[in-house]
Amino acid sequence: MGLSELKRYLTAAMVLGGILVLGAYGFYKVRQFDLKSFSIILESSILTAISIYLLIFLTLLIIRYAVLIMYSFMEHLEYLVKRNEESHAEQISDAALPMITLVVPAYNEGMVIQAAVRSLLQLDYPNYEVLVIDDGSSDDTYEKSLAVAREDHNVPIRVITKPNGGKADALNTGMTHARGEFILNMDGDTKLSRNTLRACIRHFDNPSIGAVAGNVKVLNRDNIWTKLQALEYVEGLAMARKAQSFMRAVNIIPGPLGMFRKTVLQQAGGYDHDTFAEDCDLTLKLLMRGWHIAYEPTAVAWVETPSRLLDLLKQRYRWTRGILQATRKHRSAMWNPRKAGINFFILWYMLFEGILWPFSTVLGNLFFVYIGLKYGVVVFLFYWWLQLTILDIVAASYCVIVEEESPSLIMYSVGFRLFYITIIDISKVFATIEEWRGTAMTWGKLQREGKL
Amino acid sequence: MDLISILATVILITTIGTLVVGVAAYAAFKLRDKRRPKKKDPTASDQNQFDHPIFLKRYDPKADQET
Repeated sequence: MGLSELKRYLTAAMVLGGILVLGAYGFYKVRQFDLKSFSIILESSILTAISIYLLIFLTLLIIRYAVLIMYSFMEHLEYLVKRNEESHAEQISDAALPMITLVVPAYNEGMVIQAAVRSLLQLDYPNYEVLVIDDGSSDDTYEKSLAVAREDHNVPIRVITKPNGGKADALNTGMTHARGEFILNMDGDTKLSRNTLRACIRHFDNPSIGAVAGNVKVLNRDNIWTKLQALEYVEGLAMARKAQSFMRAVNIIPGPLGMFRKTVLQQAGGYDHDTFAEDCDLTLKLLMRGWHIAYEPTAVAWVETPSRLLDLLKQRYRWTRGILQATRKHRSAMWNPRKAGINFFILWYMLFEGILWPFSTVLGNLFFVYIGLKYGVVVFLFYWWLQLTILDIVAASYCVIVEEESPSLIMYSVGFRLFYITIIDISKVFATIEEWRGTAMTWGKLQREGKL
Repeated sequence: MDLISILATVILITTIGTLVVGVAAYAAFKLRDKRRPKKKDPTASDQNQFDHPIFLKRYDPKADQET
């Protein structure tokens, strides 16, 4: 362990310790709290109703964190046991491994496409091809892809160009032209870890597994926004997705890394064009058809995330509306628990995360700011923030340990709750309202910085 | 003023600031997203180039040879 790593661990431990001390001190102070202050929230029926609602929401949130950490830890243990068994079992010979087609949709990715395709040639797998789909780019994506394809290497690379039709259309074109039995769909700006194909393919030994979701990590951790997103990704994947994987019901196969049985993808009709979250929509289609979806934590896709606030809001706006559109498409399962089985819970969970959570945190902030300004009782806001921050720090600590991530990410939990998630939640609330009102929207393309 | 009150005041100010920034950033994103070059602007980008036919007259190679 180097000095810088030790320093990071110490800083993370100090943040964790500091917040626990603050929590204990807060608990001590709350016992001395003037109970008359609580009478403020009983002054009007609206304040009482909001207080009760927020209390219920907070209880649900604590249950959510507890259940996810428990399930993800069970998945983690199951994974370790399986890996141990596999290391003792007879290895499958390379000749028996099926062919995989890597579909790389690219639209104006000229800045990163060559690095992305070249990185794919380094993967540890004996039988795969790379299929670049140029989705009518107006830049030199096609020419640059062709240049890499013409270079001398062992992995076959094909480049197909087509009129612009969106990412879903490009992935469907890839599905049609794929020669492999399995298809790995990714983004044009993604860099995959070397073991990705071997790690994902072993899940398909189980015939009920239709697809495998990969782990997504932030590559450009350059400023506060990208570092906060790195923490968000680690938490979302190590905790939420691992917990879902324990139930074999991952609800989103991420765009940067998802592997499918080609037959399953074809039977599902590929990607639809009617939502702005085609990956979420396809995942729900597979789940509704009864396929199990696993998560592979060691297959990592490194992605470039928005480094500016407005670009980040644009991305989240599209995700929020896309997920709501996908949920609405499959809403029949929400009212039919007997027939839908686990999909019933998945859809309600998605609505909790997509609508109830952002609305409730924004409402909580506004409510406690109002109480603070009107009645001069600011400590309610402090305890509201402290409870949520403790939950975030506990989750972040768990995820950082399990994912073997940089412990310095734990420090960002404070800023995560203090301003980041509030800003994101506000845009989610507006996006939900606009989706409900049916406001027209366009596909937003993230401007790449070429950090790959 | 004890520690909790000081921290509570800091968080109050930060929360108000964040709520304002959150709404302002969203408004800025929407404004930026809506802004497009005017169609009549000759220097406009090629965003809407397919709105109007590019070739006003059909190209006829025979006619070209005759002239």
